[in-house]
Amino acid sequence: METATSSKHLPRNLILATAIGILLIVSISMTPAGFFTWLGGRLNVFSTVFLGIFVEAVPYLLLGTLASGLVEVFLDRDQMGRWISKRPVAAAVSGAFMGMVFPVCECGVVPLVRRLFHKGLPLSAGISFLLAAPVLNPIVILSTAAAFGWGQMLFLRVGLSLAIAVVTGIIFSVEKEAGNVLRPALTLSIEHDHAQTESNDSFVEKIRKALLITADEFFEMGRYLIMGILLAATLQTFIPQSVLLTIGSGPVLSVLIMLGLAILLSICSTVDAFVALGFVGTFSFGSVLSFLVFGPMVDIKSVLMYLQVFKRRPVFYIVAIPFMMSLLSGLLFNYLLP
Amino acid sequence: MTHRLYRSFQGLLLLGICVFLVFKAVNGQLTWYINSRFIPLTIFGIIFLALLAQTVFTEIKRSRREEQEHAGHDHEHDHDHDHAPASLNLWVMLVPLLIGVLIPARPLDSSAFSTKGFNANSPLISADSSQQIFATESEERTVLDWIKLFNYEDDITQFIGQKASVIGFVYFDEVLGENQFFVSRFVVSCCSADGFAIAMAVEWDDAATLEQDSWVLVKGTIDSIQLSDRPAPMIVAESVQPVPVPEQPYLFP
Repeated sequence: METATSSKHLPRNLILATAIGILLIVSISMTPAGFFTWLGGRLNVFSTVFLGIFVEAVPYLLLGTLASGLVEVFLDRDQMGRWISKRPVAAAVSGAFMGMVFPVCECGVVPLVRRLFHKGLPLSAGISFLLAAPVLNPIVILSTAAAFGWGQMLFLRVGLSLAIAVVTGIIFSVEKEAGNVLRPALTLSIEHDHAQTESNDSFVEKIRKALLITADEFFEMGRYLIMGILLAATLQTFIPQSVLLTIGSGPVLSVLIMLGLAILLSICSTVDAFVALGFVGTFSFGSVLSFLVFGPMVDIKSVLMYLQVFKRRPVFYIVAIPFMMSLLSGLLFNYLLP
Repeated sequence: MTHRLYRSFQGLLLLGICVFLVFKAVNGQLTWYINSRFIPLTIFGIIFLALLAQTVFTEIKRSRREEQEHAGHDHEHDHDHDHAPASLNLWVMLVPLLIGVLIPARPLDSSAFSTKGFNANSPLISADSSQQIFATESEERTVLDWIKLFNYEDDITQFIGQKASVIGFVYFDEVLGENQFFVSRFVVSCCSADGFAIAMAVEWDDAATLEQDSWVLVKGTIDSIQLSDRPAPMIVAESVQPVPVPEQPYLFP
């Protein structure tokens, strides 16, 4: 009774804080020591995986945003629209091959495609560029050849990526109003900064502006990249890969598992061929192929970056259409080349 | 947040990430995160980040100078719509720096086995490189080389009795008997996200004196052991010496 009345005079916050403090001390002292070792181990996996993807991705993101900055200052508005055909099939095909001119991987292609949309690139061309460029570019073709040789795997990877990108691009050409698909450009900071391009700028001045745009986009896209990496690292910290690998190796499951792994691992398309090489032998040809085709189009970090450019529903289609097509082609090749 | 304040933080963060990468490159820790063949790309990143930071800082100076020049006339023009991009961009960019600085750096070790897997004898890298391994002296071969050889050669008896000398970290597992442990390495193709562990069994009388995850140099002769019904390489150790963490803790296939 006595204590009950006296506690009324104490500020509530103080009582609450003391209670939480005692609870914390008790729970820490009662936690088995193994918990902290476990926690330390998980933290180590998390930080190493996070920094691994981050360190690997930064140069590629820089290259992509640099390309975007250069496009902004050196290409006139609507110039893209004049170069690329308005007819959906032609636009989608030429979009898919633009990766040969802009060699970017899946981190770099997102800021670049957003800038190109801004410059009047048709929707179908942009979508097929977005999906195909991470595979149809010289760097990735060479690295795939280095891993698998100039053979079946390389040609099928390139061919299927091209096909999926073009089909998805054509599907998107049904939508005539780009505003229904694209998010309004939020912070194309050039509107407010000293970076407006004027045609009479000197070359040095143009480069300076391109670099400022690069810096801005590096932050804007980097934000989604980092959130994606955080998610990927967290999943890798807590979900055992062996769960995926031991589920099964049937013709259907193996493809699904490799597609899941492509999303989970979130590795750059310029190097994923070497990783895929490690699965040959454990996994069927079709499933490794589907990993190589789908991985560059969709993974955790790229989806988060897509959300910065497109509205939600289009992002769903950008993920779902390649997923279904990769799944089907994986299954097909599992039966054709068991 | 005003545009200039945003720019200041932006410049600082660019510089911060640049310095962080320089630090990792100088103390040799980049290979704790990425395959060494991508280091040139990181060097490019470092130079480019410095260039961007420089550009941003110059821009701040320039805008300050311009503002002074404009002081006195046309006030309401220009700066009333001074929206900076979302400041969340800055906070998120801080995350990698915080993770890099606050969490003590350590290469992947056995604590990663539970999620990243651990492999003593299943097929790994499709190796047409067997010939290359044959060409290396048996004592120069790594844990990965031995595992590849045992996977891709039909006749493993040819290796038994060969001298071996490998470096790796200690991992105890219940599939092994007393006086036995694994000497393990992570194999990284691209970055630590795709790393997975491989391991070779070691038989040594004083195995119990070793500590989990400590790095050792194991010297001995090759024997084979059955692990989940497949033959795997095992070293019958003559000596096991503690060694510091090697400069490149991972193996790059």
